[in-house]
Order: sequence, then C-alpha cells, then structure tokens
Amino acid sequence: MKRLGKVVVWAGISLLGAGALAAIALERGEPVNSTWLIVAAVCFYLLGYRFYSAFIAAKVLALDNTRATPAERHEDGRDFVPTNKWVLMGHHFASIAGPGPLIGPTLAAQFGYLPGMLWLVVGAVLGGCVQDFVILFFSIRRDGKSLGQIAREEVNTRAGLIALVAILSILVILLAAVALVVVNALRSSPWGSFTMLATVPIAGLMGLYLRHWRPGRVLEATAVGLLLTGLAVVAGEWVAGSPRLSALFTLEAIPLAAAIMLYGYAASVLPVWVLLAPRDYLSTFIKIGVMFALAGGILLVRPEVEMPALTQFIDGTGPVFAGTIFPFCFITIACGAVSGFHALISSGTTPKMISREGHARQIGYGSMLLESFVGVMALVAACSLQPGVYFAINSPASIIGSTPEQAAAVISSWGYPLQPQTMQELAAAVGEQTLLHRTGGAPSLAVGMAHIFSSVIGQGRLLGFWYHFAIMFEALFILTVLDTGTRVGRFMLQEFFGHFWKPFGRKNWWPSVYLTSFLMVGAWGYFLYQGVVDPYGGINSLWPLFGIANQLLAATALVVATTVLLKMGRKRWLWITLLPTVWLVAVTMTASYEKIFSPEPRVGFLAEANRLAAAVATGAIPAEQVAVTERVIFNYRLDAAVTAVLAGLVLLLMLEAVREWYAVLRGNKQPVLHEAPYLRTRLVEGD
Amino acid sequence: MRVRCRPVAARLQASALRLGQKLWWYLRQMSGDAAYENYLRRAGARRSRTSALHTATGNDLPHRSGSCDGPPLLSAEQFYLDVLRRRYSGVSRCC
Repeated sequence: MKRLGKVVVWAGISLLGAGALAAIALERGEPVNSTWLIVAAVCFYLLGYRFYSAFIAAKVLALDNTRATPAERHEDGRDFVPTNKWVLMGHHFASIAGPGPLIGPTLAAQFGYLPGMLWLVVGAVLGGCVQDFVILFFSIRRDGKSLGQIAREEVNTRAGLIALVAILSILVILLAAVALVVVNALRSSPWGSFTMLATVPIAGLMGLYLRHWRPGRVLEATAVGLLLTGLAVVAGEWVAGSPRLSALFTLEAIPLAAAIMLYGYAASVLPVWVLLAPRDYLSTFIKIGVMFALAGGILLVRPEVEMPALTQFIDGTGPVFAGTIFPFCFITIACGAVSGFHALISSGTTPKMISREGHARQIGYGSMLLESFVGVMALVAACSLQPGVYFAINSPASIIGSTPEQAAAVISSWGYPLQPQTMQELAAAVGEQTLLHRTGGAPSLAVGMAHIFSSVIGQGRLLGFWYHFAIMFEALFILTVLDTGTRVGRFMLQEFFGHFWKPFGRKNWWPSVYLTSFLMVGAWGYFLYQGVVDPYGGINSLWPLFGIANQLLAATALVVATTVLLKMGRKRWLWITLLPTVWLVAVTMTASYEKIFSPEPRVGFLAEANRLAAAVATGAIPAEQVAVTERVIFNYRLDAAVTAVLAGLVLLLMLEAVREWYAVLRGNKQPVLHEAPYLRTRLVEGD
Repeated sequence: MRVRCRPVAARLQASALRLGQKLWWYLRQMSGDAAYENYLRRAGARRSRTSALHTATGNDLPHRSGSCDGPPLLSAEQFYLDVLRRRYSGVSRCC
C-alpha cells in the first residue's frame, strides 16, 4: 500500500512536470506565468534527484556507508572534520553559488526564455550535478585529493599539468569577466559606487571585531556589517542627490576598472582577516538571504514572463552577444547548468568534511540542483521585464545608438515596442542617470529583482532602494569571487615559481607575495581593460571566453571521471559521464572554432581584427583613434590565441585519456585505482 | 474545551522552541560561529580517548610526559586566524 502511494506521488510529479513543460514550450503569443517555469523546474529536479542520482549512487558509484571517509580517517579538528550533512551542504552550496548562475541566464534571455530554461534544467540534472557528485565521490575515495592530483594519478602527469594550466587560465578569464560586470553595473552610478565603497570600511571594522574584539564571533560581526551595509544603501540615495558628493562618486568605466584592480591587489597582499574574510561573511549572508527572498518573491508575485519563448536572435544576430543558439546558449549559461569550476570545490574542502559516503549524493548532486534553481529564478527575473527594456539595458551603444530616441527606434524595429520616455522614467525611478546600454547582465537583473521585491515590500515605491540593494548584492559577492580568486591565483603562481627558485614558493615571503599578486591582477586586469574599451561592450567577447574556459574545465573533470569509472570496471555505465563529456566537447570546440574563425566580425575574433585592420589601412578610422583601434586589434588577436590554447589543452587531455582508455580496454594496461584502502567506519548512525 | 487547548498550545510552543533552537544551531554551524567551540570539544574528546587508551593498556608514561596530548590548544584568536589561513589557501568561492 505504501509502495502504491509512492508510485502515485511520483507519477503525479512526473505528470505535473510534463504538463508544466508542455505549457511553457507550446505557449505562443500570450505571456506565460512564471509559476509554470518554477513548477516544471522543481518537478524535473525532484525526479532527477529521486531516480537518476539514486541510480548513480547505488549502481554506478556503489556508495558505501560502512567505509570511513577522510574526515574520519584523518580527523584533526581543523582540515578533516566529520560534519553534519545539512551544515556541509550549506557550506558547499555557498561555495559553488557565485554570480555565474545569475548573469549567464540573464544574458541568454536574448534567445527567449525557453532555450535557457531547458538547458538549465536538463544540463544540471544530466551533466552539472553528475560532475559535482562523481568528482566529490572520487575525491572522498582518495583522501580529499584535488582534481589536478586525481588527473595526475588516474590519467597521467601530463593530464595533471594540463588541468593545472586550465584552472589558472579559467581563473584569469573568470575574474576579468565578472569584474567587467561590476564596472558596467557601477559606471556613472554615484549611488551604487558609494554603497560599494562603503563596504570596504565596513569590512575593515568587521575584521577588527572578529580578530581582536570578539575572535570568531561571526554572527555578531555579520549582524553589525549587515546593518551598516543596509544604511549605506539608504545613504547612497542621499549621496546621489547631493551635487558635490554625486560628482565625487560618479566614476567612468576606466577609473572604476582601475579601482577594482587596486582592490583586488590589496585583498591579495593584505592578511585575509583585514578585508577578504569579513567581506566574504557579509556577501555569503546577503547572497543566501537574497536567493531565498527572490524565490519567495517570485512565488508571491508570480510575474508574467514577457519575453517570448524564442526570439529571432537564435540566428546569431543578438544584440546582447553575437552567436547562434548552438553553441552560444550553452556557453553563456555555464554555472547553473554545468560548471567545471565546481569540480575544484568538490575536490577541495567538502570531501575532507563529509562524514559518510552516502552524503555525497545530497551534497554533490543536491547542491548543484539548488544552484540550477537559482539560475531559473534569475531567468524569470530577467524575462519578466518588457523585452524592449531588457534589450535597451543589455545592448551596447554601437548597436542601438546612444540616445533614448535612437535606442527606442532600433529596438521597436525588432518587434519589441519601446518608448524613449520609458527608459528615462525607469532610470529616474531607480535613481540612475541612465539605464541604456548597461551591458553585463547585472543592471537588467537588478531591475527585474527590484520589480519583484518592490511588489512585495513598498508597493512599487521602493524601486530605487531595491534596485541598488540588488546591485550591491551582485557587486558585493562578485568582488568576493574576485579577491578570493586573485589570492588563489597568487598561490598557484607562487607554487609554480617555487619550482625554479625555492623562496618564491614561500607563501609569506613578501617579494613573492607582491610580485605574484601583481602578475595575477595584471593578467585579469588586462582582459578587464580590454573589455572596458571594447566597442561591443566587452561582454560580447569576455563572457563567451569565460564560458568556453569553464565548460572546458568541466570536460576535463568529466574525462577524468570517465577514466576512473573505466578503471573501476563500470564499462556498462560509462555513458553517465561520457554523454555530458561528448556534449561539452562538441559545444566548446564549436564555440572555440566560431570565436576564432567565424567570418562574422561580431562573432569571430580574427574577422573583427581583420575588419578593423582594413579600416585603419584604408584611413576609415580617424587619426586620433588609430592608436586605440590598433590596441583593440591586438586584443582580438590575443583573445583568438587564448581560445585556441584553451581548446588545444583540452584536446590534448582528451587524447591522453583516450590513450589510457584504449590501453585499459584492450587489456594492454592493468587498471590501477589510487583509492585509499578500505577502513570500516567507527562513527555511529546519525554522526 | 480550554482544558484540551492548553496541552495543544504547550506542545506547539515546545515545537516552535525546538525548531528555533535547531535553526539557531544550524545558523551557528553554517556561519562558523560555533567553530571554536567545536574545536575545543573535539580536542577534549580526542584527549580523553587517548587518556582512556593509556589507562586501559596500563601505559601512562607518554600521558604523564604530555606527548600524547598532541599540540597545545589554540586560543580563540589563533584558531580564527588558522581557519582563515586554511580556507583562503585553496579555491573557496566559485563563479
């Protein structure tokens, strides 16, 4: 009877999910209510978790709860600590959920809501969650080793080196891309710039509190920090209203980019307790709070999805970024569907704290489902805007023109009616000078979130507060990714240079600290500058590059996972990791090829470089802009080279792995697994 | 009727209190607020396990000399700095 009840419940969930999917996929002409998107996603997640992850756990990985995990084997109360699975899931989710699942779906909304929605849900259930889960499990079985170490041991040393270079490259591109999002969000916005700047002394105060006054009392310090940050958002309106202060905090793109680089450098060289850690506490609390608030807001407001299911921009002519739906939708949405970066977290601290192998399913697979849901909410927030407003915010001036009248005319000609005064009124309502061509995704997401929040609290009157609250939330945790990423990159460079000269490898040797921090900031800062001066707004070139790098890292992780599965004798179940690998390799290789060689200048780096070079040669570029244009030409060629190197690295890794697979399958090589030996757990049930 | 309502109200109150306590516990664990207390508790448990082992085997020499106690306990400030150092030495935040 109980079994029959379960069958009925799961059959009901399946039917509900199928019905909701049909509603959003087949609806044409009329706006769809966002509830359908949420219901479809949740039903799909529930089915994926209940059946697919259970199948992987039982049949493919054969999780063994009698086996002691690294947290138990090496328990030291510091790195290795058996941790409650709900607490660890919270830690893991807070670590994997960054700006990617918010920005990517917002940008991909230019194709319509349907492609992004389907990729977020299907990609997560069949790809992203599987990657996070299996890498977490393999790391648990190897005493918490990192992805690079697993690649070195299970494939070969070259594969380990390739993984290391891929990780460093993705860090540089990632940091530049997210920094550009912040620059575009805060550019010419005294309210936003003041709020962000205020978080630096607030973090300093929290740092002193946590270090000297009440060591480790995170909740107390964070409560103080949250209160002061809230006051800073409120005070920002007053700053924006004061002519003198407003002029002081109105920063253009290049000074803002310089300020962000300076911040990244300071956060990398200063002790972590001063700036980095307190800001991280602040941003984590705000991040998780806002994600819950957004979910609640969407459920309460149930906004209509104004964007059509598919737009004409699936043909590659999109104003937000150029490129056809395949492969660019799947590159633009990386985090939220499949993110290679997660493999670093899954083989980082989480495997050292998990108390039972069985928990890997909930923590690895379950956390990624939550992140995917965050992506769906961002998609809903972006698609609930009038499409005309969405395109006006996210399109560069080179496409829609620089005045509201020009923008309205161009966007209306695409079939998305927009009045010039709509954008002016919206900008005034949120306390901004303009919202036109604020590329990068963050401002349009903030407008969408502000509409939802102000419908719940403020009845539309607090639009300006909620907009700047959302901008503060996005910028705050993007900058946290920036400072932690710069620091990790610094450590990787120090380790690398330490091979050549020992003192350089010492993490606290100041010349090494200053120089490697400078190199790291210089690397992502260069790409950031390139994005800032890019005539197409920067996001058009940087975000796809970031997507390619991230998905290539995912392909790397899945190739390593497939190798381990093969060595475990799971030939029958290889498709579990092989299918997403093949998909990701097809997507990233196609995208890499198009970004390098496409004859369309807005897509292909070389085509655009050649077009500009020809314009310089024929004298079509004014003399005073020749130097800048030549720099832009160099940047596009550099982007093409970086894309080629990333794609080449992954092809090389694939080749190494395929050789290994062939040798194992032919019986030429004895499959050797580098797992820690079995030790029976002494933890009792419930530990 | 009032007599029947009271136990229900009391039970609800107790449930709400338990839920609040659980949420507070979760929040403290999640944020790292309870990390130092956990460290002290675990260190204490490890020491008593080692001590019990020595008593059971009749070998109390290492215990007397203090070598089985492991490294000295960190102060709250030292522990906090140690946590930060380890957390930010690797990839701790994703994209």
